[in-house]
Amino acid sequence: MWLALDTATDRAQVVLGAPGVILARAEVVGARRHAAELLPAIERCFAAAAASYAALEGIVLADGPGSFTGLRVSAAVAKALIRARPMPLWVAPSLLVCAAGAGVGPDQVVLALSNALRGELFAAAYRVGPGAVEVVLPPSVLRPEEISLRVPHPGRIVGPAAATLGAQPTWPDAAALIGLVGKAGGVTRVVDPARWEPEYGRPAEAQVQWELKHGRSLADPSRAGR
Amino acid sequence: MTPPSALLAIETSCDETSAAVLRRDGSRTRLASCVILSQDIHRVFGGVVPELASRAHLTTIGPVVDQALEEAGLTLDEVDGIAVTAGPGLVGALLVGVMYGRTLAARLGIPLIGVHHLEGHLFAPTLETPDLDPPFVALLVSGGHTLLLEVTAWGSYRLHGTTRDDAAGEAFDKVGTLLGLGYPGGPAIERLAATGRAGRYRFPRPMLDTLGQDGPDRFTFSFSGLKTALLRAVQSSADLEADRADLARGFQDALVEVLVAKSAALVEQLGATTLVLGGGVACNRALQEAARRRLEGQARVVVASNRLNTDNAAMIGAAGSFRLARGERAGPTLEARADLPFPGLLPSPEPLSSHR
Repeated sequence: MWLALDTATDRAQVVLGAPGVILARAEVVGARRHAAELLPAIERCFAAAAASYAALEGIVLADGPGSFTGLRVSAAVAKALIRARPMPLWVAPSLLVCAAGAGVGPDQVVLALSNALRGELFAAAYRVGPGAVEVVLPPSVLRPEEISLRVPHPGRIVGPAAATLGAQPTWPDAAALIGLVGKAGGVTRVVDPARWEPEYGRPAEAQVQWELKHGRSLADPSRAGR
Repeated sequence: MTPPSALLAIETSCDETSAAVLRRDGSRTRLASCVILSQDIHRVFGGVVPELASRAHLTTIGPVVDQALEEAGLTLDEVDGIAVTAGPGLVGALLVGVMYGRTLAARLGIPLIGVHHLEGHLFAPTLETPDLDPPFVALLVSGGHTLLLEVTAWGSYRLHGTTRDDAAGEAFDKVGTLLGLGYPGGPAIERLAATGRAGRYRFPRPMLDTLGQDGPDRFTFSFSGLKTALLRAVQSSADLEADRADLARGFQDALVEVLVAKSAALVEQLGATTLVLGGGVACNRALQEAARRRLEGQARVVVASNRLNTDNAAMIGAAGSFRLARGERAGPTLEARADLPFPGLLPSPEPLSSHR
């Protein structure tokens, strides 16, 4: 049994289940509610499935890109759950979750789009087959006019920002996240969950400005004291 | 109700990721460990970048908690209570600690309490001065706050004065930048001021005159004008290199004089026998010494060690332990709040004239 969490968009998703079997699911709509309500939503899923944490094989998380704060909400919860009871953490790109949820066969490329702000989009494209995922375009930050150059003829356009290219917006479904478990190229095992961080998709704006000004990367020399 | 025997405390309100363990031995609470990880990355920006702070907390919270447990000789399963800073502070930074602490508490089935960061500063000295008990007067001075409080009992506070613009620590940081000393400004200004000449620069003592008035601003602070006066002095300096130490001394003397004068006046007005200095600015030796000189023979001045005056989880544990012992518990939806109101505030005092 797996716990799937996706808080990359305005709609937080919690699903308890295994590939092909959904035991319970919950959704929290509204980014401002995620922090308060994600943990109760998880508890509700366990209660609805009459399941215990001891039965969990692992956690699978949509790791971005997406809302910086939203990504941290599920990441902090997952880290603490794993600290309380060690278990594997697996992650998949948020855009792959959107693409996998489209239900399109491997003969078509699915282009997934979400809003990256500043007139740009997070874009990724995949062929999702029954046993494997082929990455056509890894998650990238692109202007709308650049997308057709990178993915010329997508069979389907999905994701919260699909309307930018004239398609119907869709939202990620954490059930699709569970469906990616065991698929080649679907999910990635996190080696060190405690130190892991999501794929934010963008550096902090202050960092961007500093690096532009100084022409070099910003180091992060933290120091520990006791 | 007794407080937890092994309390894990978490603090992530700004740019320090900190965890601590407090053990209870009989009636006494003892600090078993305190780990503080400072995020040096903000120095190059001259201030804390909230998004970078939040990202760093997320990757360090787990290792910092583990180190605190290891140093205390405890396993997570032995922890029987969790205290976490719920505000005020940077909401994204707070959120990491709150979500982590809340999830741990829920999974372990142990009590959780959300702590007000400034109440933590108020409790910090109790870890080293166990006989500290209200009533007393407290001056809490940090990068984000300047509060002059009457502590009538633990959990019961009356706010007499605050700042109408910059916090004391904020003034130190801004002046540190003006003097080319980098961020944070407080320690650098203190070091430099020690070599500066007193009186060469005499800056205004903002709102010191209101002490002689009987009105709502009697204990109000304002440091923005002092910062501007220093800026003008810097701009008119013909040799900043030569003047820097004297400027730092002049600024620190002015700020310390106002803080001490207002604190001492409240001590005298209330007939208090103890003044507590708390928060990062309370690490300033000149402030501590001036307060002790001013109140000699009248009141003792209690200050925690520097490690417990700057942001740390030990103080959050001390305040959390008090609140858990009172039976308080955070609900399952505890949230981080940048503007969390100070708990236990009594109605504001009326001017003295209204009592005549």
